[in-house]
Amino acid sequence: MGLSIEISDLKKTYGEVTALDQVNLTIKAGEFIVLLGPSGCGKTTLLRCIAGLERPNQGEIIIGEQVVFSSQRGITVAPGKRQVGMVFQGYALWPHLAVYENIGFGLRLQKIPRREVQQRVDQVLQDLGMEGLGERYPSELSGGQQQRVAVARLLATKPPVFLMDEPLSNLDARLRLDMRSELKRLHHDTGVTTIYVTHDQTEAMTLASCVVVMKDGRIQQIAPPREIYYKPANLFVAEFVGMPRINLLPARAVQQNGSYWLEIDDFKLSAPEIPPRDGVVAAVRPEDVRIFLEPEPGALEFQVYSVLPSGPELFIQARRRTRTIIIRETRQLDLKMDQPIWIKINPSDINLYDQISGVLLTSE
Amino acid sequence: MDASTLERWLNRFRYRLTSPQFIISVLLLVALFYLILVPLYGIIDRTITWGDTDIRMSREAVPGQYTLFHWKNILLGRAAKKFFYEPLVNAFFTGSIAAVLALLVGGILSWLITRTDMPGKHLLRPVLTIPYIIPAFAIALAWGALFRSPRVGGLPGLFEFVFGIAPPLWLSYGPVPIIITMAIHYCPFVLLLVSGALATIDSQLEESAELLGASRWVILRKITFPIVAPGFLSAFVLTFGKTIGTFALPYLLGGPIRYHTLATMLFSSFSLGLEPIAYILALILIVITALVVYLSSRFLGKNLRRFETVSGKGFKGQPTLLGSWRWPLCLMVWAFALVTAIFPIGLLTYQSIMLIDGRYNLSNLTLHYWIGQSNSDIAFGEPGVLHNPIILGATWNSIKLAAFSSVFCAFLGLLIAYIIIRDRRSWVSTLLDQVSFVPFLFPGIALGAMYLSMFAAQHGPIPALYGTFSLLVLIAVIKRLPYSVRTGASAVTQIGQELEEAAELEGASWFQRMRRIVAPLATSGVVAGLMVSFVGIMRELSLIILLITPTTRVLMTLGFRYAEEDQIQLGNTLVLLVTFITILGELLVWWLGKSRLTRLHEKQMDLER
Repeated sequence: MGLSIEISDLKKTYGEVTALDQVNLTIKAGEFIVLLGPSGCGKTTLLRCIAGLERPNQGEIIIGEQVVFSSQRGITVAPGKRQVGMVFQGYALWPHLAVYENIGFGLRLQKIPRREVQQRVDQVLQDLGMEGLGERYPSELSGGQQQRVAVARLLATKPPVFLMDEPLSNLDARLRLDMRSELKRLHHDTGVTTIYVTHDQTEAMTLASCVVVMKDGRIQQIAPPREIYYKPANLFVAEFVGMPRINLLPARAVQQNGSYWLEIDDFKLSAPEIPPRDGVVAAVRPEDVRIFLEPEPGALEFQVYSVLPSGPELFIQARRRTRTIIIRETRQLDLKMDQPIWIKINPSDINLYDQISGVLLTSE
Repeated sequence: MDASTLERWLNRFRYRLTSPQFIISVLLLVALFYLILVPLYGIIDRTITWGDTDIRMSREAVPGQYTLFHWKNILLGRAAKKFFYEPLVNAFFTGSIAAVLALLVGGILSWLITRTDMPGKHLLRPVLTIPYIIPAFAIALAWGALFRSPRVGGLPGLFEFVFGIAPPLWLSYGPVPIIITMAIHYCPFVLLLVSGALATIDSQLEESAELLGASRWVILRKITFPIVAPGFLSAFVLTFGKTIGTFALPYLLGGPIRYHTLATMLFSSFSLGLEPIAYILALILIVITALVVYLSSRFLGKNLRRFETVSGKGFKGQPTLLGSWRWPLCLMVWAFALVTAIFPIGLLTYQSIMLIDGRYNLSNLTLHYWIGQSNSDIAFGEPGVLHNPIILGATWNSIKLAAFSSVFCAFLGLLIAYIIIRDRRSWVSTLLDQVSFVPFLFPGIALGAMYLSMFAAQHGPIPALYGTFSLLVLIAVIKRLPYSVRTGASAVTQIGQELEEAAELEGASWFQRMRRIVAPLATSGVVAGLMVSFVGIMRELSLIILLITPTTRVLMTLGFRYAEEDQIQLGNTLVLLVTFITILGELLVWWLGKSRLTRLHEKQMDLER
C-alpha cells in the first residue's frame, strides 16, 4: 500500500536561479501523479527534493506520518530513511554488479539473510518475466531489459512510494508503449503512491490519475488528465498540452441582442457567456473546428493553406487573410491547396483567457 | 538574531557537521594546509628573518629579528650578479630556447604521427616518448659520455675517440648542451600535448577547404595551424614552466664550467650553507612558474575553450598523403628517434661495461660494475650492482618510495577529486581544489627546499622528519597530488551521480557508497594513474636531492652522487636501472589501457585549466 505525501511552501534556489517556488501539493495515498512540464520547469528538482537528493531552502515535506524535511524545525531525513524507491532516467544500474546484486543491494544493506534476499530477487525477476538473467551484467542487457532491472530494483525493497524520473525516455517508441502499460498495471497491482516525471504529454495523459503541470518552478495546474486537456487553467497549460498546438485567437467579447459574440479580425464567432470586454484570447482545440465543403449558414469562409495527412486523420492549415488555424479532421476529405472551406466552432468548445494574465475566464 | 533564526542556523550547521564527507573535507584541508601552505610561509618567513648562522654574513644580525637584508643582498648586493642575475638570465635563456626547440620538433613530429600516412607511426609513438620517460639525468650522462673533454678535467668522450680531435668546449659544457638535452627531454612532452590537440580536429574542416580548391600547404597554414595554435601556445608555456626549473641537466652540463641557472644555484647555495639565498631563489622559481601557469590559463583559457568547441567530433577522415616525401620523412623521424631515444641508452650501457672509462677497445670490456665482487683496484673497491649493499638498498628504497607514495597519492587524489566534483558548491571543496593544485607551481627543487626548512627541526606538534623515509613519501605524495587529483577527477566524472543516488536511496551510508560503488568503479582509471605516478617518483631527483640522507638513499640520488664523484660506470648502472624500471612501468601502464595511456598523459599534462 502507498503513503500520502504533503508538500507545503517548498522553495529551492541554486544561487540566483529559483528552481522551485511556493510549491504546495497534496498527494493522496495510492495516486499516480505525473509532474509535467518543459525542461527546466523544476519537475525533476521537485522529485529529487521528495527523494532527499536535493535539500530545499524552505518548506516542509511529509511522507505518510513522517516529516522528512522541514526548514522550520530543522529536519532533514536521509534519502535511505524516507521509504521511497526511485527509477532514474539512465536507470543507474551499477555496472560492476550483476543483475542479481543490483536488485538485492538494498535488501543486503538491510541485513536480510543471503538466502531470503535470493528468494525475493528470484521472485521479482519472475514477476517481471526475466528469469535467468540474474547472472548477467547491465552492459549485457538490452535497453528494455535494463529498464526492467531498474524497476525490479525498485520493487525489491517494497517501498510505499515510487519515484520515477523520465524512466521511459531512453527507450524506442514501441518499447515505450509496452512499458507504459506495464507501469500502469504495476501501479494497479501494487497500489503504491507513484510520482512520475516526464516532459511527454502523451505519457502524462495515459498514465496519470492526476497531472501536475509546472513552469519556471511553479505549479500551473493540478487536475485529472481530462480536465488538463479540456479546461486548461491558463494559456501556458493550454498551449503546452495537445498536439497539434491549440488555436489561440485574440478577440474582443461583445454582447448583442442578448447573445454573446467574439470579434476576431474581420469576423465574429458565437461565444460562451462572458461580460463584454477587450483583451481576451479564444482557445480552440484543432479537433473542435468543424469543416464544411459547401457554404453553410453561420460558417466562416477560410482557404486551405496546406494539408498534412497522417494515417487516420488529417491536419489542415486554413487561412483567412493573415489568420491561420489548425484543424484536425477524422474524415478522409480530399482537399486541394487554396480551395475554400467553411468552418464552425461550438461556443462550448471555446475557452476564453485573459490576454495579459493568461488566466481562464470561462468557468463551469 | 531571534531564537528561531538561531535555531535554524544551528540546525543547518548540525546537518553539515554530521556529514562524513564534510568532516573528511575539513581534515584533508587542514592536512594540505599544513603540508603545502605552511612550508611556503616557512621559507618566506626565513628570507625576512635573521637566522642563527647569519652572523657570518652581517654583524648586525640579531637572530629572530625581521630584516630585509637577505633580499637586498641578493637583489642589490655585491654577490647579486653571481647568485641571482646571471642564473636568472641563464635559466630564461636556456629554458626558453629549449622550449621553442621542443615545440618545433615536437609539433612537426606530432603532425606527422597523427595526421599523415607516414609508415610505421604506431611503433614510432612509444619510441619517441622514451626521452621523456627516462630520467633527464640519463640524457645528461649520455651527452657527457659523447662530448666530454679533458680540457675541463676528466676523460675524452666518444666524439674525441672517433674523430681524434677534442670537441669545442661550447659543445661539451654550458648553454648549448643544456638547451639541446632539455629540448630532447621535453620534446615528447610537447608531442603528447600537441598530438592530443591535433587528434581532436574534425577532418571535415580540412576536407571542406580541400573541396574549395585549397592546396595542402594552404590548408595546413590557414586551417590546421590556426585551430591548434592555442594548443601550441599552451604547450610552449607549459614546457617553459618545466625547463626553467630543471635541475639535473644544467647541473651536470653547466656545473663544470660554473654555468648556473636558478635551480642549480639554489642547490649550490645549500651546499655553501647560504640558506636564505637558497630560499629566495626557490621563491623566485615558484613565482615564475606560477606566472607561467597563470598566463597559460588566463590568456589561453578562452582560446582553448573556443578551440574545444571546434573539435568534439575527432579525427576520422583520410590522413594527409605525403607522396614522395613519405619514405624520406619516415627515415628522418626514425633517425631522430634512434639518436634521441635509443642511442643515449646504448651509450650508457656500453660505458657501464668499460673497465676503464674512455677506452673503447674490446679488451677493456667487463661486467664488473654489474656483477663484480669488491676489488680494491677498481672504483675504490666498490662492488658491482649485484653485490653492492648500498646499491641494492637504494634500489629497494626507490621501489618502496615509489610504491608507497603512488598508492597513497592515488588514494588521496581520488578522495579529493571525489569531494571536489560531488560537492561543487561548498567553500570547502573550492578550497580543496585550489590548495591541492598549488604544488603544481613548485619546481621539484623548490619544494625540496621548503620541506628541508619545514622538517629540519621540530615545529609545534610535527616532529623533525628530516632523514626519515616518511618525509620522502610525504613530499612525493604532495608533488604528485595535482596530477593524481586530475586522474581521480576523470575517474569520478565517469561515475554517474545517479549510481550513487540509487545506492543512497537504498539506504547506503557515505562509507558504504564509497566502498561498494565509487571505489570499484574508479579502480581501473586510478590504477593507470597510479602507475604513472610510480614511474614519475622513481625518476625524481631534484625533488628529494636536498632531503636524502645515507640511510634513505634511492637509485637516482645515489647515481647522482656517483656521477659527481666521477664514478661514471656505477652512476650509469644506476641510471640504467631506473630507466629499465620506468620503461617497464610505462609498458605496464600501456598494457593496462592502451588508449587510456595517451589520454591519461594528456590529462595529467593538461593541468592548466
